Amino acid sequence: MVTHDDGLASPHSSDAGFFAGIFFADHKTIGLQYLWVALASVLVGMVLSAILRWHTSWPDTAIPFLTSLNQAPESFAALRLLHGSLMVFFVLTAAPQMGFGSFLLPLQIGASEMAFPSLNRLSFWMTFASFVGITLSFFYPLSQGIQVWLASAALFSLAALLSAINFIVTTIELRAPGMTLPRLPITVWAWFLTAILSMLIFSILLAGSVALLSDRLLGSEFFSSATFLAQQPQNLVRQGSLPVLWERLFWYFAQAQVYVAMLPCFGIITHLIATFARKPVWKERLVVFALCGVGLVGFCVWGYHMFATGMNPYAPIVFAVLASSLGVPAAVLLASWLGTLWQARIELSTSMLFALGFISLFIAGGLSGIFLARHDLARAAVSEEFVVGHFHLVMGVAATFAILGALFFWFPKLFDRRLNEPLGKLHFWLTFAGVYAIFMPMHWMGLLTQSNLLPDSQRMALASASSSIRTFVTLATVCTVGAQLIFIFNFAATLLHHKAAAESNPWSASTLEWAIPLLVTSEGAAAAASPVVYRGAYEFLENDSLAPVPQHLAPELPPSRLP
Amino acid sequence: MPGTTSQKDIELIIEPVGRGGGPAAPPAGGDDSGGNGGERRRPGQPSPNRYYTGIAVAIVSILMFFMALASAFLLRKGSSTNWVAVRIPPLLWLNTLILLASSCAVELARKQLAIQNLSKFKRYWNLSTILGVLFLTGQLVVWRQLEAQGIYLASNPASSFFYIFTGAHALHVLGGVVALLYVATRNFDKAKVSRSVAAEVTSYYWHFLDALWIFLLLLLYVGR
Repeated sequence: MVTHDDGLASPHSSDAGFFAGIFFADHKTIGLQYLWVALASVLVGMVLSAILRWHTSWPDTAIPFLTSLNQAPESFAALRLLHGSLMVFFVLTAAPQMGFGSFLLPLQIGASEMAFPSLNRLSFWMTFASFVGITLSFFYPLSQGIQVWLASAALFSLAALLSAINFIVTTIELRAPGMTLPRLPITVWAWFLTAILSMLIFSILLAGSVALLSDRLLGSEFFSSATFLAQQPQNLVRQGSLPVLWERLFWYFAQAQVYVAMLPCFGIITHLIATFARKPVWKERLVVFALCGVGLVGFCVWGYHMFATGMNPYAPIVFAVLASSLGVPAAVLLASWLGTLWQARIELSTSMLFALGFISLFIAGGLSGIFLARHDLARAAVSEEFVVGHFHLVMGVAATFAILGALFFWFPKLFDRRLNEPLGKLHFWLTFAGVYAIFMPMHWMGLLTQSNLLPDSQRMALASASSSIRTFVTLATVCTVGAQLIFIFNFAATLLHHKAAAESNPWSASTLEWAIPLLVTSEGAAAAASPVVYRGAYEFLENDSLAPVPQHLAPELPPSRLP
Repeated sequence: MPGTTSQKDIELIIEPVGRGGGPAAPPAGGDDSGGNGGERRRPGQPSPNRYYTGIAVAIVSILMFFMALASAFLLRKGSSTNWVAVRIPPLLWLNTLILLASSCAVELARKQLAIQNLSKFKRYWNLSTILGVLFLTGQLVVWRQLEAQGIYLASNPASSFFYIFTGAHALHVLGGVVALLYVATRNFDKAKVSRSVAAEVTSYYWHFLDALWIFLLLLLYVGR
């Protein structure tokens, strides 16, 4: 009965084989593959950060296993580049957008696949190749390594572009009947808007890296010409800095990249808070507008990375106003989160703790961001440690919290079992305390370096304080990285030992991805393939049970209690 | 697009019948196809709309790539002294005409497809493919001519930009030629898309490459 064609069409037949598993993977498998790459990257990146901190505190001690890396400043720089690119590309971009997005976007809109499944596979394997390339680039000598890095970055841009096109088309074209725009879960909105943003900015990184690669390999003169540098006004060219043109192209990409990483996290956090507060998102439509606003303004503020580089004297004011106006959509998001939590019966699961931790980090990072957004204050605040502390708190750690919250929340969907909650909570509190202990003192160190106007005696005292703060930060880093062992243990033990859970909707959520297995058991596979949506994404009964009202529940039927 | 709406409607009516699917779907659409997205197709069945949206999104993304290079071109030109403008070789104007002619041929082919004249469609379609290949060959000759004059990629910023603009565009045209060949050779009885959808989507991309080329040519001409 089973013909050859059927075997190709359904990849989950058991005899599909290894290659079929790779080349005919469905969107869920691809989403998981992205998440595995992200997990590998985050572990390597975290260990690298501990090594980097160790080296800044005790530069003379040899680092075990890594003595072969000679103590040259280049290898420190290369280590930082590796840490940054692994974290930004393969964790912050790949996990919340491509990983969770590929897995959940079709499920949440009631589609059976992405719009272009083969394109989805292609973009994953390009991402994977780029991951291998960026990791390998570290082991080459610096000048070759940077070329491998650039080629890998170009490849990743291409992968991100293809993936973004897929996301946009899927959201526009494949929504289930009745899944109107106001009924879309906020996560879907966030993935959709992020895809639009990535489609615009990764083209720019692609153009920039192709041009730079051609400069290095073929000797063209887009950026790197001695005469070009000599012609620049002196205040524009600092010793050893990159040419301004590359800086412009790069920051044009990289500032918006921050929002490519953050927007899906905003979506995830809004989703988690509404689900665990058992209330609709407060001012849901305004939240969607705020997400659009973040994307739009985020696309226009690249210049504020160049306050210290120097630019047309009028430009900084424009960029400062734009960057500060990012506070408006951010405040709307914050108000909506707090409004949703207001007078709600909150269920403090691990995912919810991570969501609340995200809010705390978002506020802390947003406040230090005000210093950096204003060109006049930035002159006082811009220093290595202050900037590093700021963006790690608001971008790196906050996004990681969103990813972890999402992982705890959707783990039953991804792997059919639940992570251990008490271990998860312990991991949360240690990490939460740890990241504040690392990154808050970093802000102080940054401000201390600006003290060169003080008399000598005070500067001496500050210098000694600064060195003890540095040691504290390093110890906190090592402890926080160590605390991640709890998570790794929880993750591995759950996967290896726990049997599959029977609950199909363990968090009592109302969106479609939890409804689909229910439909499979009760009404057959045909209904599962074509759910019809009748209501908004976050509706809960207002009686004592606070049971969710699934999106596919027809209005004439009485809302049934779900197990 | 307006020329083919009747074609698409015909398919929308035919498809459910061909599959013999259970529900006797009302012949949705007709002439007054309102924007009611839910009823136009059975869910789970590929709708051709995704290809139109996909190519539109891809075009925006490609445009952004060239805009980044164009802004870099203008910035770089304004701030360098070793800018030796590339004199646009006369052959480039001929190539432009060839590309425009190829676009016209695609439109003529689609007109023939709309009236179900398959053999004439193939003739025009192959003509446009050949013109596309001719354009690429022409660009290759242009690069050879420049090389003979001693203008290389690495000569100066202006020549670098000339080569990257023409080269990146040629790469996209190559992709377009592959798409044209795909439409010409694919057996559409077995494909998920119909010939008219594939032809229309390819034609959008092909016209876009035309417009992009004219923009690049103007940029290179003005930015001498």
